[in-house]
Amino acid sequence: MPLLSLNNCTIQFGGLVAVSELILDVNANDLIGLIGPNGAGKTTVFNMITGVYQPTSGEIFFDKRNLVGKKPHQISHIGIARTFQNIRLFPSLTVYETVQVALKKNISYGFFHAITQFDAMHRQENRIKETIFEILDFFGLTRFKDEMATSLPYGFQRRVEIVRALATKPRLLLLDEPAAGMNPSEKKELMALISQVREHYKCAILLIEHDMKVVMGICERIAVLDYGIKIAEGSPHEVQCNPHVIEAYLGEQV
Amino acid sequence: MKCHLPKLYLLLSLILCGIILIFEKNISPYYYQVIVYIGINIILASSLNIINGFAGQFSLGHAGFMAAGAYTSAVITSSMHISPGSLASYPAFLFSLICAGIIASLFGLMVGIPSLRLKGDYLAITTLGFGEIIRVIIQNLDFLGAARGFTGIAKLSDFFWVFGIISILIFLVYNLINSTYGKGFLAVRDDEIAASAVGIDVTRYKVIAFVFGAFFAGIAGGLYAHFVTYINPSQFGFLRSFEIVVMVVVGGMGNIIGVIISAAILTILPEALRSIAQYRMVIYALLLVIIMLLREGEFLGGRFNIKRLWKKSPAET
Ligand SMILES: Nc1ncnc2c1ncn2[C@@H]1O[C@H](COP(=O)(O)OP(=O)(O)OP(=O)(O)O)[C@@H](O)[C@H]1O
Ligand SMILES: [Mg+2]
Repeated sequence: MPLLSLNNCTIQFGGLVAVSELILDVNANDLIGLIGPNGAGKTTVFNMITGVYQPTSGEIFFDKRNLVGKKPHQISHIGIARTFQNIRLFPSLTVYETVQVALKKNISYGFFHAITQFDAMHRQENRIKETIFEILDFFGLTRFKDEMATSLPYGFQRRVEIVRALATKPRLLLLDEPAAGMNPSEKKELMALISQVREHYKCAILLIEHDMKVVMGICERIAVLDYGIKIAEGSPHEVQCNPHVIEAYLGEQV
Repeated sequence: MKCHLPKLYLLLSLILCGIILIFEKNISPYYYQVIVYIGINIILASSLNIINGFAGQFSLGHAGFMAAGAYTSAVITSSMHISPGSLASYPAFLFSLICAGIIASLFGLMVGIPSLRLKGDYLAITTLGFGEIIRVIIQNLDFLGAARGFTGIAKLSDFFWVFGIISILIFLVYNLINSTYGKGFLAVRDDEIAASAVGIDVTRYKVIAFVFGAFFAGIAGGLYAHFVTYINPSQFGFLRSFEIVVMVVVGGMGNIIGVIISAAILTILPEALRSIAQYRMVIYALLLVIIMLLREGEFLGGRFNIKRLWKKSPAET
């Protein structure tokens, strides 16, 4: 039984079929690459899984639950976290607060406790504080804790986004072009980070990435989208030799 | 210990209110009135700051919530025939203020729901309309005095009530915004999609901001009604809402202290300019324009930069 399975998912924007009849399974602890030319529909797949868009038809199952019709925050609670292709950090929050927001589901107190500061809240806030420091420590971000997240260098902003996603304790992590705009050494660090995340957080990862070195280097299985249609799926080697894929990337070295 | 700080603050400010109460008899009625207005405006601006500043929902209907509270509490104390100074007046007034808050927050709920679908200018216009609807409804209700107004309200508001409620409000807002729960408001304001992706229920947060903000606007309305003793619908027009928005914007959206200070300054300013009565509003408006042009980031905590008067903002260049 796969952790996530998309059954014939289609999404239309007006006349444009952005994703068509997509079938994709992700098992627990998988690291799967999702590649394809620009505009192929990769980000749209993420948006469907996370509830930003609802599929026009088809079903999405995660851990036996149907995600179709659920709101993004509910899907986050069920255990799916993501990063964004165009970094979406909170401009008025520090790195510390960014992680704090993502830990909101760990608190059980509500609005009235928050405004009156009852003791139950203090206990929970202290635990949250510990958790934040643990997480920041693990990812080497402690020294930036009081910096505004959006003021960090680009590579670190990507890192903070990944950390924010992981703070929600996901069972599936969706990374949308995490290496975009990084230099080769940053990319290497990122690849190390991703495998570190897998070991420590034991979550499955679905990765959209244009950089073939990164994708071929770390993914065990790769799915290829072109014009919203899945044209190939298999090991990095199989995908590289697939004539459809070569055609889609026309002339590009895969 | 950091976590006890707000409680200490609450205690201190309540003691301060008590001290003020002892000396209040020695202040001239005019200053007394100005100070109470400052206090009421601080409550209005701080409560709007929750909606506009923290949750990022640009609302122009705050005077409507204020009106709902003012009339609710006036009706309650009038029907109870409360006389000022009697022992029964304190619990009765408290009760009427709480009811004022509850009724206003029901209106907040009603306005909050369209805010889930609307953004920016559209939301501002909708809330403006809602505020006006509340006013027009009151204008047509005969048992509230309609356009003639509601007279004979007991004068129950004083320093103690106004500043006691400010203390409580600031205490609650400060706690909220420093809790993990409250950080969610800032996340919603900054980026709704990212906030929902980390499990923040954006809808819920927006509605809570409207309800909480409207609650205290209603209480401010109650305090106002029991200070001026006569209210009529025209006191709660959209100019009132606009004044409160200006206080929040000048003070810095989401800046607790900045908004308090700007509410105080913007209450005093028109009073201080009273001697040159006919140019009062011209100068007031001019000062506002200059303040807005000068400020960089926030009013307090942000910097003032004279160069901004003739330099283009980065967005334009
Ligand atoms: N909200 C929307 N409304 C209309 N069309 C959309 C919307 N979102 C995406 N599309 C269209 O769907 C198609 C797929 O877009 P998508 O962003 O998923 O591509 P992608 O594979 O992520 O591309 P890239 O590699 O450039 O990020 C594009 O043609 C895009 O214009
Ligand atoms: Mg994309």
